[in-house]
Amino acid sequence: MEFGPHLLLATLEGAIGAAVLALMAVGLSIVFGIMRVVNVAHGEFYMLGAVIAWWITSLIGGHPAYGFVVALIVAPLLVGAIAALADHLVLRRIDYDPERTIVATIGLLYVLQQLTLMTFGADARPVEAPFNKRIALPWFENGADGFAMYWPWGLSTTTYKLAVIAAAVVVLIGLWLLMTRTRAGLIMRATQLNRDMALAHGIPVEKVYALVFGLGAAIAALAAVLIVPIQQAHYLMGGDPLLLSFIVVIIGGLGSIPGTIVAAILIGMSDGIISVFFSPTLAKILATLLVAFVLIFRPQGLFGKRES
Amino acid sequence: MLSLNNVEVAYDKVQVLFDVSLDVQAGEILCLLGRNGAGKTTALKSIMGLLPLKAGSIRCEDQTLSALPAFEVPKQGIAYVPQGRGLFSELTVAQNIEIGLMVKGSGSDTRERILDMFPRLRERFKQRAETLSGGEQQMLAMARALSMEPKLLLLDEPTEGLQPSIIALIQDVIVKMKQQGVAVVLVEHHIDTVLAIADRVAFIENGRCPEVVSIVELQNNQGKIHRYLGIN
Repeated sequence: MEFGPHLLLATLEGAIGAAVLALMAVGLSIVFGIMRVVNVAHGEFYMLGAVIAWWITSLIGGHPAYGFVVALIVAPLLVGAIAALADHLVLRRIDYDPERTIVATIGLLYVLQQLTLMTFGADARPVEAPFNKRIALPWFENGADGFAMYWPWGLSTTTYKLAVIAAAVVVLIGLWLLMTRTRAGLIMRATQLNRDMALAHGIPVEKVYALVFGLGAAIAALAAVLIVPIQQAHYLMGGDPLLLSFIVVIIGGLGSIPGTIVAAILIGMSDGIISVFFSPTLAKILATLLVAFVLIFRPQGLFGKRES
Repeated sequence: MLSLNNVEVAYDKVQVLFDVSLDVQAGEILCLLGRNGAGKTTALKSIMGLLPLKAGSIRCEDQTLSALPAFEVPKQGIAYVPQGRGLFSELTVAQNIEIGLMVKGSGSDTRERILDMFPRLRERFKQRAETLSGGEQQMLAMARALSMEPKLLLLDEPTEGLQPSIIALIQDVIVKMKQQGVAVVLVEHHIDTVLAIADRVAFIENGRCPEVVSIVELQNNQGKIHRYLGIN
């Protein structure tokens, strides 16, 4: 395939990665932004979402869409409830102390990972996409006969992949509306800005924290349900997305949702394109290098605010 | 209205308040006076439930505040304006007031009444709190507290760093609240403000409250101000 069509293909693959990464990283970002908790177990909530999606779709027969739709609703709710329970049983008891929550969520990571291994086994589990029609993509070339359109072999995507991008955009817009246009969002932002004054205005901060921790995990699980027909569910699948999410959140600015989305597009697209043209390892090296530069030259991230 | 009974408060192992007992009645302004670090702010925070008591109790009417979780305290009709204003800086004036209104589920009538008291805030309604001037921020902190329709108002240095016209406005609002039957606990360093509006003064010294005097008594014996604050 020529360079142009090949680049378009890589960009499309990168866009899918960016869409899922944006969801995953936004979940991590709201948890850090509002609770000041660095949730090392975030990747395991993503993994749980994928495994639960496989479990649900394997239980429900008939057209793949039935099981997938149920998984799309149930997996985020279930994972959100598990996260809220973890908040109640673990994080609240250590008073959301920033250092201790890192250690606690590392522990949670291993508990969730090993429980999944013991329950569902070590095999990678496929989930069938609810629809997956191939769409051939055209390319344009300015040749001797003028501007012409042709259909390069192998330049295609699927309806499901485009639907993943669209779904991620819809969820991100919904989350933005939740945070900026609703009373619940106002309460969450007030809690983020000043915990003590939130308490002094009757806001039950611990309930808000449980809700936020559950919401962050549910968004990660939703991202996993969307991607699992493309990637397969596996008990170790949370590691890479977690690393990329941390990279995105640091580059975008800890706690900044717009920054997280911009950084997710940047990192997701570059990861996809560099992986296609060079290697996935090089993509990770460059992303990590970018984080190092951001930490040195703009520690608050591209959109974050410097602590006063 | 409010009574502190033998209250002791500590930050970890460092005790800040020792056996403090105070009371304030409806329609009264009680001023806490003392040097920096004496424990005045700690007393207000402990009333709000933001600091746990080591000993003693705090009651407001029939309710033991110290037995409630902190987020239930404002629902008893207690509003707090902290030192430094404690605004939700990235939220707008409207949103800051909205959060105050949420405490009692008050509506637009209350909001309009509050904005009539601080017309400048009406002009800045959609502006973020962090972009306001110092005086406007203090007005917003007061407006947010009043939007909770409190029966007890805790004010921590509400006139600090403000120009005289804003100080006069804040004083007027405090007096108006008192006339409406609101009890006010005021931490204030401006002696002129204290003498102008307070009914009683509780001196706080090294975490203790050795003396509570009426404002008339203080006006007749201003040596106490020198003794407790080190100023003439």
